[in-house]
Amino acid sequence: MSTMTAIKQEALPVTSEAEAIEINNLVVSYGDKRAVDGLSLSVPTGSVYGFLGPNGAGKTTTIKTLLGFRQPNGGSAKVLGYDIVTQSLALRARVGYVSEVNSMYDYLTIPQMADFCRATSLRWEQAAVDRYLKMFGLPLKAKVKQLSKGMKSQLAFSLAMGSQPDLLILDEPTSGLDPIARHDLLNQLVGEVAASGTTVFFSSHILSEVEAVADWVGIINAGKLVISSELDQLKSSQKVLKLIYAEAPPSAELDALHALPGVVRVDQEGRSVRITVHGDVNTLSNIVQARPYALRDVEIVDLNLEDIFLEYMKEGNNGR
Amino acid sequence: MVAKEMIEARWKLFGGALLATLIATLTDFTYSNTKEMLNSAAASQQPGSIRDYMVQMTSSFDTFIWNSWFSMSNNGGLVMVVLAVILGAGLIAGEVSKGSIFLLLSKPLSRERVLLTKYVVSAAILFAVVLFGSLVLLLVAALQGHPQNTLGMLISDLLFWFALLFALGLATLFSVIFSDVLRPLALALVVMLLVAIPGFIPGGQAWSLPTYWTSLPAYLGQSFPLKEFAVAIIAAAIPMLIALPLFRRAQY
Repeated sequence: MSTMTAIKQEALPVTSEAEAIEINNLVVSYGDKRAVDGLSLSVPTGSVYGFLGPNGAGKTTTIKTLLGFRQPNGGSAKVLGYDIVTQSLALRARVGYVSEVNSMYDYLTIPQMADFCRATSLRWEQAAVDRYLKMFGLPLKAKVKQLSKGMKSQLAFSLAMGSQPDLLILDEPTSGLDPIARHDLLNQLVGEVAASGTTVFFSSHILSEVEAVADWVGIINAGKLVISSELDQLKSSQKVLKLIYAEAPPSAELDALHALPGVVRVDQEGRSVRITVHGDVNTLSNIVQARPYALRDVEIVDLNLEDIFLEYMKEGNNGR
Repeated sequence: MVAKEMIEARWKLFGGALLATLIATLTDFTYSNTKEMLNSAAASQQPGSIRDYMVQMTSSFDTFIWNSWFSMSNNGGLVMVVLAVILGAGLIAGEVSKGSIFLLLSKPLSRERVLLTKYVVSAAILFAVVLFGSLVLLLVAALQGHPQNTLGMLISDLLFWFALLFALGLATLFSVIFSDVLRPLALALVVMLLVAIPGFIPGGQAWSLPTYWTSLPAYLGQSFPLKEFAVAIIAAAIPMLIALPLFRRAQY
């Protein structure tokens, strides 16, 4: 199998989908347990999409199902316009994948790994691989087993780029890496790849790295989508109103605050009250200040992705 | 992918070839010692049926070589079966346990192609080792003044190879089912023992697969083992025919 003949490149229909990934009501079970439970999600073409969720939320199972490692128990999904069940081969010819585990062959050298990937890929651009290998400064004659974990991730990324993917799927690509290696891999590369027009879909539970590189985020919990939105829009739509009262407000006032439009959560600690708001925070601030309880301080605080993620997780847990 | 499979199996290939050389050489040199043992007092105390069998198997140098190298109950056959099972047990389970199955399955290759490529490379390695061992046997026997029937040896090699393909297929089948290498290894060896059991029951020879995996008349150039080939080929195909759809549906 020195040359790829499994499917002819010219036989692949050229797709120009607006959505690189389109998932509709996807269900994936392990025995009786639903790991993915009615997930619906759209990933815009050309975006850098951060797929977030706590451990066991169903991120890896979703990715495995998209790539055909597992069959869905219900629902449907398309990747680059290809059905994940009936057109899996064509789909995989256009997708680059870096898994969460070290999935490379320890006994091969870097050139041998590249030869293996070239022989099993429909498209291959060795110059791109060489460029990334050089950028990372990987020792070309070394065997994979001699590389550190960070180097293995860098190699996996370099090889994934060799097949000139239209979509790059990274499953926890920086798990176990030190902060410098994480920074190198994500900030430098994902940005560069995205600039070339390739859609990047990457799962992670390290929120700071997602915030640094993603322009879209989706949060999944217990196999269900919690939210999917442009990151900027998500951040601008959610704020926290921090209030310091002259005296601790009564519980009736807290109930009244909770009933105000856009208020998602109200947390009290003594005289301090923290209100999580979806929507127009300025209007809400004016309404709160007009209420009959004296305030010493009012502050509107931007939420970072970690705050937003935690808010959604709390909401989800309270809702259950 | 073939190159990667060859690199992965290279130590098994070298180890198998080395063992085959050792066994083939020892087999050629132990004929006279074995004959002497049969005339000793200890041998005369063996039960009649065993002694008769031993006398029959050492009745000539050629018969002794055939029995030692191609019989599943002797050194040559056992070592080759173990090599086949070791090769097959790691084919898929090895990829799963190391996590490399995800890299492999992310490539635009059908699962049938992945499994068959791995199987064919292992089958080729087994064929090379069997041929190499036979070549050593032929060479050493000729140097000792007992030239063997080359065509008979080649036909016996092919028959023997199909026996090894059955072992390889079994181990591959279990390798698809289980995610660790140990269980496919153990289960394939157990099944290899089980298929030999009918041969030990009176009148059960026809139901014992090892009966069809070797043929003394074929080795001696007296007949072509058509029936044996038919049974051996069908038996070799069955485990893979089960393994292929199982692998196609396997969830990772």
